[in-house]
Amino acid sequence: MTERELLKGNIAIAKASLIAGCECYFGYPITPQTEIGEYLSLEMQKRHLAYVCAESEIGAINMALGASAAGAKVMVSSSSCAVALMQETISYACADELPFVLVNVMRAGPGQGYIYPSQGDYNQATVGGGNGDYHTIVLSPSTVQECADLTYRAFYLSQKYRNPAIILADGLLGQMSESAVIKEYPYEEIDNSDWILNGASDRLSRNIHSLEPSQLKLNEHNVNLKRKYTLIENQEPMYEEYFCEDAEIIITAFGSMARYTKEVVNHYREKGIKLGLFRPITLYPFPYQQLRKLSYSAKLFVDIEMNLGQMLKDVQLSALSNVQTAFIGKPTGDWLKKEEITGVIDNLLKDKNANIR
Amino acid sequence: MQTYAKPKSIKENSSFTFCSGCDHGLAIKLVAQVIDELNIQRDTIAVSSSGCSVFLYDFLDVDCVEAPHGRACAVATGVKRAHRAKGNNKIVFTYQGDGDFASIGLGESIHSALRGENITAICINNTNYGMTGGQLGPTTPMGQITATSPLGRNKEYHGFPIQTVQHIAICEGTCFCARVALYDIKNIYNAKKQIKKAFEYQQKGLGFSFVEILSSCPTNWKLSPIDSHKKIEEELTKIYPLGVYKDIDHE
Amino acid sequence: MNKNFIISGSGGQGILSIGSILANIFMLSGKFVSLCPCYGAEMRGGAVNCEINMSDREIYCVQNSKADIVVALNQTSFDKFISRVKENGTIIVNSSMAKIEKTRKDIQYIFAPLTQEAQKLGNIKITNSIALGILSKIIGNLNIDIVKEAYEKILKDKKELIQKNIEAYLVGLNYIQEGVV
Repeated sequence: MTERELLKGNIAIAKASLIAGCECYFGYPITPQTEIGEYLSLEMQKRHLAYVCAESEIGAINMALGASAAGAKVMVSSSSCAVALMQETISYACADELPFVLVNVMRAGPGQGYIYPSQGDYNQATVGGGNGDYHTIVLSPSTVQECADLTYRAFYLSQKYRNPAIILADGLLGQMSESAVIKEYPYEEIDNSDWILNGASDRLSRNIHSLEPSQLKLNEHNVNLKRKYTLIENQEPMYEEYFCEDAEIIITAFGSMARYTKEVVNHYREKGIKLGLFRPITLYPFPYQQLRKLSYSAKLFVDIEMNLGQMLKDVQLSALSNVQTAFIGKPTGDWLKKEEITGVIDNLLKDKNANIR
Repeated sequence: MQTYAKPKSIKENSSFTFCSGCDHGLAIKLVAQVIDELNIQRDTIAVSSSGCSVFLYDFLDVDCVEAPHGRACAVATGVKRAHRAKGNNKIVFTYQGDGDFASIGLGESIHSALRGENITAICINNTNYGMTGGQLGPTTPMGQITATSPLGRNKEYHGFPIQTVQHIAICEGTCFCARVALYDIKNIYNAKKQIKKAFEYQQKGLGFSFVEILSSCPTNWKLSPIDSHKKIEEELTKIYPLGVYKDIDHE
Repeated sequence: MNKNFIISGSGGQGILSIGSILANIFMLSGKFVSLCPCYGAEMRGGAVNCEINMSDREIYCVQNSKADIVVALNQTSFDKFISRVKENGTIIVNSSMAKIEKTRKDIQYIFAPLTQEAQKLGNIKITNSIALGILSKIIGNLNIDIVKEAYEKILKDKKELIQKNIEAYLVGLNYIQEGVV
């Protein structure tokens, strides 16, 4: 189990889900995440676990809802436009407090878009496309190793908070291979015996539903959910800082884009320019406080994304008024190269020369 | 002397909140009686849906999860498969309206039947969307006036209604399907018999079992309860003939 | 050290297999490594390619505009990737399936009739391993035991196939004399 292997991001997620104790997988093919379903189709059958080639993504996510209500550890994987189809049930699952792990290996949108890698679903994942006051936990891996490790964390957090958790990867990470170690599942098992539906044999029957005709109860339910989200926001932010301690310029980036920007940080550090990278690992909860701390000493935040500026608003919310924010991004295709990024930052440095150096 | 007894699987102190003359209450009672007779109350997980049928869990005393509109068969698939993965054999059934089962959820319904998903689906067909005030649905017969077919269903504007049971019958994974009605004692007994059979087939692991119940909707049909049942007997059973459409034990 | 490679050709030429074997060789040698295959639309028309990065430190950028060494197993990939060889880099071309033509002066060309060489060994499906042998020669210092281990990882228990591929690999390894290029 601890052997170093050359693994695709998609396969790392699939393998880790099995180690995490995933009992049910439901899916429908869509590039660039199909390997997850392909890999698990045999592995789940070998273990006599639940695997359904669903009739649609809507079917798949609702099977997940049912399996979760039955107390199973569940995973569904899909991509962008197909995750859009699942939004209704994600809202239901949050309302019903039903945990499952949803993997979104992002492709380019809007609409059908294409299978090129992109980070266009930051808003879809963190803000959500379903109705009502709800949040999903969102974890953003940046290496194949993290694809595995954050799969564990997604199962754990979703069970712990009884809430769906999304792994927001992208086409590059899903398809590329790196050496990684599939470790043991590091988290405690969460007892769910007090809410699951397994037949009312020695207890009163239970109902799991979001319909609530009583105004009072519906308000109360929403307030309770909000309390849970506040707890998650206080307890669970994860982030990585790369050369941030003395940085005057902070690059903010997530997922695959973040790893590319480390080259940019190295480039400027070699020139003696104090530049660092702040990478949110949880996109919800976004590490606002941690990024805000950096804005005491920094003068400029440069947000870099493979979209047209979705995380940017969260970066701006974190920045104190003394910090300028800039954005570099493009919607899809080849990832922004070091030269493309340094070209823009060089210009920013010229403008700001007086107060940044 | 035989006196009426509340089925054990109906919750204590619950009284049906359906409109007077609506067959939902009777249908739920029959399901409860079958659950009692098969002694499966403690092993049953129900999946309710959207529409009037959603209130199932207020009355039926079994574990129940509510599905988003149309997705009951998919949710039931998840419940059933998850328990099977855990080595549990649970009885899982959906309770849906015709709009839920045969319109918005037709994909989930047909594919559960095709997969031979070992669940039971009960569909209340009252030929309209009842909870929202009686609009045209997938089973509204030609000519019927509804809130969204004020001149009556016609093929130019609305197309044709669906014969749900016949469609489910041709799916290879279906082990049993029947259409029943509740307009008289004989039919009520028959309905219960077919519901029981559907559950028994699931117990035996034979595949997808399905019962469509022609039901009254006096409020939206704007008829008295008695006239509503007369309409079912005289009109609807001609359009939607009653009977067992598939039974693999008799093939 | 930090080097990257593009391997290209058409579907059925085993491009991703040798990409994967090469990446495994580096991993088993204790290097950091990444392998990016083309997927979906890029493969339309049967074109296949992948990029392998190898480094002594963590790899951040896994797709680069230029490569140190490019392997092109047919004309289409030769045409497509010739511009992506780094200055002073090398391109290995399967001259059985591509015209011998030198359009750049700043790179080294190695033309080898790989398909014919594979035919000599009795199986054109091992063309890719001959190419990998030549590539290994240029990279230098690859431990043959590790190469064998990598083949075993990818080809699992197909002993005969492993044997045949190693044979082809060695033909490639000895195809060019040290110092020729």
